[in-house]
Amino acid sequence: MQRHLFYTLLLLIATFAIGITGCAKKDNNTIKIGVAGVMTGPDGAIGGAMINGTQIAIEEWNAKGGVLGKKIQGVVRDDEGRPEKAVSVARELIANQVVAVIGNFNSGCTIPSSQIYNQVKIVQITPGSTNPQVTEQGFTHLFRIVGRDDQQGSIAAKFMRQKLGLTKIAILSDKTAYGEGFAKEVQNTFTADGGQVVVYDGVPRTELDFRANIAVIKKSGAQALLWGGMYGQSGPLYLQLRQAGLDIPFVSGNGTMDPNFLDTAGANATNVYVTFGPDYENLPSAQPFLQKYRARFGKEGAFSVYGYDAANVLFEAIEAAGTTDADKIAEVMHSKTFNTILGSVAFNEKGDLKESNDILWTVKDAKFVPAP
Amino acid sequence: MNLSLPPPDILLGGLVRGSIYGLVALGYTMVYGILGMINFAHGEIFMIGMFACIYALGFFSTYLGTGVATSLALSAFVAMIFSAGFGYANERIAYRKLRKAHILAPLTSAIGLSIILQNFVWLTVSKNNINFPRLYSEPLNQVAFTIAGAHCNYLQLLVLGTAVALMALLYFFILHTRLGIALRATAQDQLMAGLVGISVNKTIGLTFIVGSALAAIAGVMVSMYLGVAGYNFGYIWGLKAFTAAVLGGIGNIPGAVLGGFIIGMTEDVTCFYVDAQWRNCVTFIILMVVLILRPRGILGERVADKV
Repeated sequence: MQRHLFYTLLLLIATFAIGITGCAKKDNNTIKIGVAGVMTGPDGAIGGAMINGTQIAIEEWNAKGGVLGKKIQGVVRDDEGRPEKAVSVARELIANQVVAVIGNFNSGCTIPSSQIYNQVKIVQITPGSTNPQVTEQGFTHLFRIVGRDDQQGSIAAKFMRQKLGLTKIAILSDKTAYGEGFAKEVQNTFTADGGQVVVYDGVPRTELDFRANIAVIKKSGAQALLWGGMYGQSGPLYLQLRQAGLDIPFVSGNGTMDPNFLDTAGANATNVYVTFGPDYENLPSAQPFLQKYRARFGKEGAFSVYGYDAANVLFEAIEAAGTTDADKIAEVMHSKTFNTILGSVAFNEKGDLKESNDILWTVKDAKFVPAP
Repeated sequence: MNLSLPPPDILLGGLVRGSIYGLVALGYTMVYGILGMINFAHGEIFMIGMFACIYALGFFSTYLGTGVATSLALSAFVAMIFSAGFGYANERIAYRKLRKAHILAPLTSAIGLSIILQNFVWLTVSKNNINFPRLYSEPLNQVAFTIAGAHCNYLQLLVLGTAVALMALLYFFILHTRLGIALRATAQDQLMAGLVGISVNKTIGLTFIVGSALAAIAGVMVSMYLGVAGYNFGYIWGLKAFTAAVLGGIGNIPGAVLGGFIIGMTEDVTCFYVDAQWRNCVTFIILMVVLILRPRGILGERVADKV
């Protein structure tokens, strides 16, 4: 046991020594970019696929000659989806003198890690964290290339008001930051657009008997039900709505976008609409990336495209800034409009997308498909 | 705030919820009546009933190829046996040795058991909610009749009917059978009951078995009614059922049923007049007011009359 400990310590010291000399040796021919995200654990598959997307972007830029005439070196680290690991990864990347960071995936990891990056003012761009709080911290060097949970709300509201032409809707939420944020945004947008919210209510996360709420909705004459919550409640709510004889549209956010919902809702679920990211599989601009990705890693994940886009936006900003100075890069990112495979992207003062690119999906033959 | 009368579907929904609370509350109240302890693991027994039924449905339809109605009846029976087994084992393992210990000992043991059972199901069965097979719940979810625009389906009628019938049966069992008399005697004085030849351990075991079987039936009906079953359902429904038992007067059987109906109705009527976010507040305010005015609950009588 004693000897074991000794060797472990020796190994640790050796590792540190190599790390320190590695840092001390300043390499002027490469630009280091930190890539942090979840690669193991329950979210490992979806987070790993995001990082693979970033890797492809790095290779493409290096093949073109790199950024500012220097090769890009991606420093990839696994945060295991754990906030405390994300913080230690952040410290390690800073010690490695990275110019900017792409990550993290989980909002729970991005929020604490962004506080570390903010202390030293390093540019961070997250391809996967959708919680509004991420960019509500007031950090000037933090960007997000996916839609916020609450931006989806206005998309859902506009869909019901303009596309379906509804005037009266009912809103239910699970009272969480995600669900209520989504529901509030729908309410604001829908009423601002001349619509009327006849029922606005919240139920606890654990509640699964919605019959009283449905009876109230039925009496109110609402033309659609908007649900702000996760798939665990979406399924029973949808089922009970139909059992009560209400065939009105069931509209929800990306929390419903899960196979579990389809299982509960059943084979003949119809009139269901869910907001989610764009249908990149059918975008012509995404095809070269998808081919490259599939040839190398197999089927892409839902966030691979975002990982790729985040890297491209960052490198373009560094190139446009003409320097690796974080303040200059952040300035360019705030002002420039970037062309990505998901369309043009511009950031507002918070670092969020000015225009979210989420779209409406529907359910057909027990599968999610983009709404016509 | 509107002042019109609630529509019939609100009242019906409240009655159905209430009757389920009542069925589960019977288990709490019987155990309290006989042992003077609160069996917090009872909600978990209810949850185990749900899962047992869903798995039994799979077994019967796959291996025996029985029809829809037969499978459902058999599976409900299996769920009862399974839950009864768990309930009896709980008593045997976690409570019997502690019967003469300080009142906090069996209570803590019950809370621990509840956590163990919940985590066990979470780890070994499913972390997500699982669906009740549509094939079996769909026929019962058809509309039976419509009153004033409110659909009443067969399942709601079945839940109400079963609950009322089982409660009546239990009441008859306790008042008019020899086992029931033994049960009441044990509740009044365990030592005296033993001296006149009643097997106290068997009688207490029987209480757990009956209460658990009732909870299993409630569990099966809830998972059909909601369409899903989950590891945390025992906690969610059990807590409300326990509240119902206290409201009605813990240890009192008609009280448990009455408490269940009051809580179920309060929840749904609150949802109509105020909104769903307030239903827990209103429910527990009513509970507090009742307990302040009548500390033993609505029907709670002298301690000697318990069970």
